[in-house]
Amino acid sequence: MASPIEPQGQPQPQTPAQPPAQGGGRGQGPAPAPAQAQGGGRGGPPPPPADPKYHWAAPHSAIGTHVKRLDGPDKVTGRAKYTFDISRPGMLYGKIVRSPHPHAKIVAVDLSAAQKAPGVKATLLWRDPADTQRNVVMFQGDEIAAVAADTEEHATDAARLVKVDYEVLPAVIQVEQALAGTAPAVFAASGPAADTTSGTPRSNIRQGQTQETGDIAAGFKQAAHTLEQTYSTHVITHVCLESHGAVCEWDGDNLTAWVSTQGVNATKDGFAQGLKIPASNVRVITQYMGGGFGSKLGAQDPQAIICARLAKDAKAPVKLMLDRKEEHLATGNRPSAAARVKVGVAADGTITAFDAESWGTGGAGAAAGFPLPYIYLPPNRRRSHKDVFINTGLQRPMRAPGHPQGSFITEMYMEELADLVKMDPVEFRIKNLPPEAPNAMWGSYLRQGAKEFGWDKRHPTGDPTPGPIKTGMGVAINTWGGGGSQGRAHVEISSDGTVVVRCGTQDLGTGTRTLVAVVAADTFGIPVGNIKPEIGDTVYPASGGSGGSTTAAGISPAIRIATVNALDALKAKIAPALSVDAASLVAVNGRIQVKDDPSKGMSWAEACKQIGPQPIAADGAWQPGLSSVTTSGVQFAEVKVDVETGIVKVTRVLALQDCGLVVSRLTAESQVYGGVIGSLNFALFEDRILDRNTGQMVNPNMEWYLLAGMSDVPKIDVRLIDQSERGVIGIGEPPTVPTAAAVALAVRNAIGVTVRSLPLTPAKILQTLAQRRA
Amino acid sequence: MASKDDKLGGFAFSRRDFLKSAGVVSAVTAATAPAEAEAQAGGVNAVGPGDVPVRLTVNGKRVDLMIEPRTTLLDALRNRADLTGNKRGCDRGACGACTMIVDGRAVYSCSTLAIDVQGKQIRNVDGLATANGLHPVQQAFCDKDALMCGFCTPGFVMASVALLEKHPSPTPEQIKKGLDGNICRCGTFSRIFEAVSSVKGVTRG
Repeated sequence: MASPIEPQGQPQPQTPAQPPAQGGGRGQGPAPAPAQAQGGGRGGPPPPPADPKYHWAAPHSAIGTHVKRLDGPDKVTGRAKYTFDISRPGMLYGKIVRSPHPHAKIVAVDLSAAQKAPGVKATLLWRDPADTQRNVVMFQGDEIAAVAADTEEHATDAARLVKVDYEVLPAVIQVEQALAGTAPAVFAASGPAADTTSGTPRSNIRQGQTQETGDIAAGFKQAAHTLEQTYSTHVITHVCLESHGAVCEWDGDNLTAWVSTQGVNATKDGFAQGLKIPASNVRVITQYMGGGFGSKLGAQDPQAIICARLAKDAKAPVKLMLDRKEEHLATGNRPSAAARVKVGVAADGTITAFDAESWGTGGAGAAAGFPLPYIYLPPNRRRSHKDVFINTGLQRPMRAPGHPQGSFITEMYMEELADLVKMDPVEFRIKNLPPEAPNAMWGSYLRQGAKEFGWDKRHPTGDPTPGPIKTGMGVAINTWGGGGSQGRAHVEISSDGTVVVRCGTQDLGTGTRTLVAVVAADTFGIPVGNIKPEIGDTVYPASGGSGGSTTAAGISPAIRIATVNALDALKAKIAPALSVDAASLVAVNGRIQVKDDPSKGMSWAEACKQIGPQPIAADGAWQPGLSSVTTSGVQFAEVKVDVETGIVKVTRVLALQDCGLVVSRLTAESQVYGGVIGSLNFALFEDRILDRNTGQMVNPNMEWYLLAGMSDVPKIDVRLIDQSERGVIGIGEPPTVPTAAAVALAVRNAIGVTVRSLPLTPAKILQTLAQRRA
Repeated sequence: MASKDDKLGGFAFSRRDFLKSAGVVSAVTAATAPAEAEAQAGGVNAVGPGDVPVRLTVNGKRVDLMIEPRTTLLDALRNRADLTGNKRGCDRGACGACTMIVDGRAVYSCSTLAIDVQGKQIRNVDGLATANGLHPVQQAFCDKDALMCGFCTPGFVMASVALLEKHPSPTPEQIKKGLDGNICRCGTFSRIFEAVSSVKGVTRG
């Protein structure tokens, strides 16, 4: 990924064939951990577990209940101010000039006409033609220059007046050509860089190390059947409804930046490094943000630095929000994935050997790793992986990075193997699962889900019903890391009974703000509405970025610890007045009282009156013992396919998902709905389509980049499985993993032929059906 | 709501060559029927270049602006009138985050020129709640958790209001059709469907 210090002209190396570092990748494979697996401390000796007084107490008054999203009223009325809505006195608008070419050398940039254009207050040369380290653009949409003007319209006009002379260079567009060695040699063989050093061997491909376990040859000897097939998934983009962008305002050497980001603290550090100023001079604010899905995780975005530099030059606040086309081209994508697999299965349905060559592209220099095989790990297995580099925008983590791809490829061959040995797909999966454990509950969920879904009514592959509409069912499973350890919180209780919880986290739309209040209300035994959560600002105690489903498990323990500390202080204040031992007091039903004796106690309001002018203040930081890592889930899907039009209609989805202790049930369920629908988009609709000759994205918009609408959404039943004893884990990513595979398998079950690549477009389905007839 | 004077005081607008901007031409032709475009080209209603006075009626209040003729209704309200409730997701009339109600009809305000809706009754999400509280649609969205990041929500709320004012007791098919012009990336559709299905008491508009 690009460094926040300098906009990268030359892509940075990444370790090949590794799952992305955003937390969840470690969920690959079941590797059952103890039930109380620690959420943090990886890479060193685990810290001592939290004092038992901090442990999640039951019964809960707020945790696990359906609490309405606290910021719902602000969002439905339009009062919620997103970065896109921030307006500052004298604010200017920024616009970036980007390369129309997928690969070109910048020969000259002429800003003079733009500088003279109406309303222009600042211009910026981002890629200096004289700088040989930076004067090559590597993808359509790569940044070159920028302008700031008094209105958005003037900024757009001025950006068009920036004259750039390019020396267009040969580009790698097609993965297939890169693999075949017929593409122009752009990327160095040893790494991703477009290394211009003469004599550097180039292949556009980085070969990862082969991973091997067991005895492949022996495994295939045990097999009764061997399947050899190729499966693939495509590139999609994040399409956050709010684009990437910032509003930057300087006061002397101090920068205040409103940024649409998943990590206020990482963004603060990114500004400090990129602008070479002390981090203490930077404040980043993200009160509301319109989706991130992994694409807004750091300060790697050039537009934030560009915005700050324009504001400095213009001596005025600048708003710079990207447009939809820029979003598709330059702010990340989910890399493609493909694998040629050879799998052996014994007559009893045991997978005996797995051998695969895999590849994928993450664009102009980023890795394209994904887990394979996914969850079902045969004893004898081998895999080698290639990262393929092409001249497109770089991938970024996208909701469960790697897992939807690995899930699709694995579940597809699992189904084909089940047919080879004539086993029910659910039973076949159960036979090949790792042993059941608290974080590996697929077997139980498969049985429970099959019963509820009516799996016994599933017909064998190919719906025998006459007529064009064929019905089918599919199933797939998921795992994810979750966990998290980067949480800090500060709590204040005032004499008027109000409680403020400050936490330097951010709410992507997942419901973090609500979760903060739920955890605090649960400790104090008071209504959630009495808690005032303050988040989304680097002035609050620094917590982690929201990636890898780590937010809930990172901050909930910190808030729990801070609120228990604050409650202890409050108990100590009132114990003398009640003539009881502070340790005998509990906070329950809006009162602080001796356990099981309401007569010896006082209401929350009365208790808080004892506090005095100085609020009770307490802090908390994440400790192990209150959270865990790794989840498991299962999804079933039912589809109807019209074999005359190729149109797939998903009719039902059943999602069973655990995530440890469910903190905020309503918003957790919403995460599952959202994950299922996101994966349905991946399966059926969205697709980054490139012109194979020019490397231009042909659908950088929202009318030809297809996404599900209301009519495309099936009936979705969500079953959250409570595992309270495991502590908080996180649920943002796991539910978006298996839906695509379950839908693809339901289509296979309906039409009787296998479409081995996504997306399942009508054209592709008709083509596959035609091939069978031929 | 900001009036023309307090909003534009800090800016010094200069006039510019209208015809040099390809954006103006495409915006006008994209959003105007051919016959109307022809009439404008013939000089009947041609205004600009540069800022022109535009008088809008938004949420029952008069809003006077000095804006370029190419300014969309969405940008006019967001950038010049501090009515930032409705959002811009795609700027091409595909995502629906900008949905407003103009003379009782849901429109994509990103693809509607402000100058073309003078004299019409414009409602955006900022004006939906009253002193008595949330509109029933807004309340239902909160109750059913029909929102996540919330960026598409103002558009969905306005599209739902337009639907319910036309069909106070919509069938499931009418709800789906009425909201098919809006996209939610977080995936709240199931909850939105539940919310809109639960709303009672919206009077026919």
